[in-house]
Amino acid sequence: MTVASQVKQTLASLKGIHAGLQQLALTSQDETAQRTFHEAMLVTEEIIADIKNRIGRLEFEEPQYHGK
Amino acid sequence: MPIWLETAIRSICILIGLFVITRILGKKQLSKLSFFEYIVGITVGDIAGTMSVDLGISLQEGITSILIWSLFPVAVARLSLRNKKFRDFVEGNSTVFIKNGKILEENLKREKYTVDELLEQLRKKDVFRVADVEFAVLEPNGDLNILLKREKQPLTVGDVFPNPPREKEPQTVIMDGMILDEPLAAMGLGRGWLKEQLDKQGVAVENVFLAQVDSYGQLTIDLYDDKIQIAEPQEKKLLLAAMKKVQADLELYALQTNSEEAKALYERNASKMQELVQKVEPLLRN
Repeated sequence: MTVASQVKQTLASLKGIHAGLQQLALTSQDETAQRTFHEAMLVTEEIIADIKNRIGRLEFEEPQYHGK
Repeated sequence: MPIWLETAIRSICILIGLFVITRILGKKQLSKLSFFEYIVGITVGDIAGTMSVDLGISLQEGITSILIWSLFPVAVARLSLRNKKFRDFVEGNSTVFIKNGKILEENLKREKYTVDELLEQLRKKDVFRVADVEFAVLEPNGDLNILLKREKQPLTVGDVFPNPPREKEPQTVIMDGMILDEPLAAMGLGRGWLKEQLDKQGVAVENVFLAQVDSYGQLTIDLYDDKIQIAEPQEKKLLLAAMKKVQADLELYALQTNSEEAKALYERNASKMQELVQKVEPLLRN
């Protein structure tokens, strides 16, 4: 597996985590828990943006991995 | 009118009357019976019993007596709600038996408690060493309540985790195969959500005996057919595992890459993820 595809897999997991946290933020009954999940969700958004950037760079530097 | 008929009519009337009276007296009488209330209860029952059998007593006499006996405690309860001094007089005060770890012999004597009885009461509370008790008090209703010394108190969640996640009461959303809409709405959920969750577990509503939603929106169900195995909800655990995996992956990439810039990016995000895991782990663990 190439580096780019590995990083892409991580990106997919991150998106899954993001969705899971969002779900919990919506269904939790306690306000503190809701807030914690929501904040965690926002942090994952930052990480996702970073990783997306990195994938863009990887594909730019090594075009042979593009789209894989 | 034959005698048996009169007895029957009296009995039925008195039964209904007693039922109404016990309703008026309320729940408090059941849980916290003072000696006075106990005696009153017995007497009311006795009067009612005698009245229904003994035809020599006229109904007027009996009803007057029963009303006085049953309404007096109600009046006393009303008054003692308002007035603290009156309450102390009626319900009595509590007596301290052990203070600062020392037995107060004077108070024991005043309540006519022997040391044996005190020890027996302590043992009922699973205390076998008087030295473990910081404070013990005899309540007006005869219960002995104790406060253990700090080092002997049982461990609580708050002792282990300084800020444990709060948990609200779970709501029962399916009972006997019927969806209960009110608790479902109280959780901010709907029938659509419930249907989706049941489909995920592969069961129909009719087969569910009981289903509850906990404060994180997880559904736990019990089926009529006990042979079918139902998996426990795993979503939270899976989410935590996924977060830990991503964190490890990011650290791995940071080690593998040759580019300084990429290394910094991966390391920064790995530490962010680490913080995140620490923050949500207490919420996701159970």
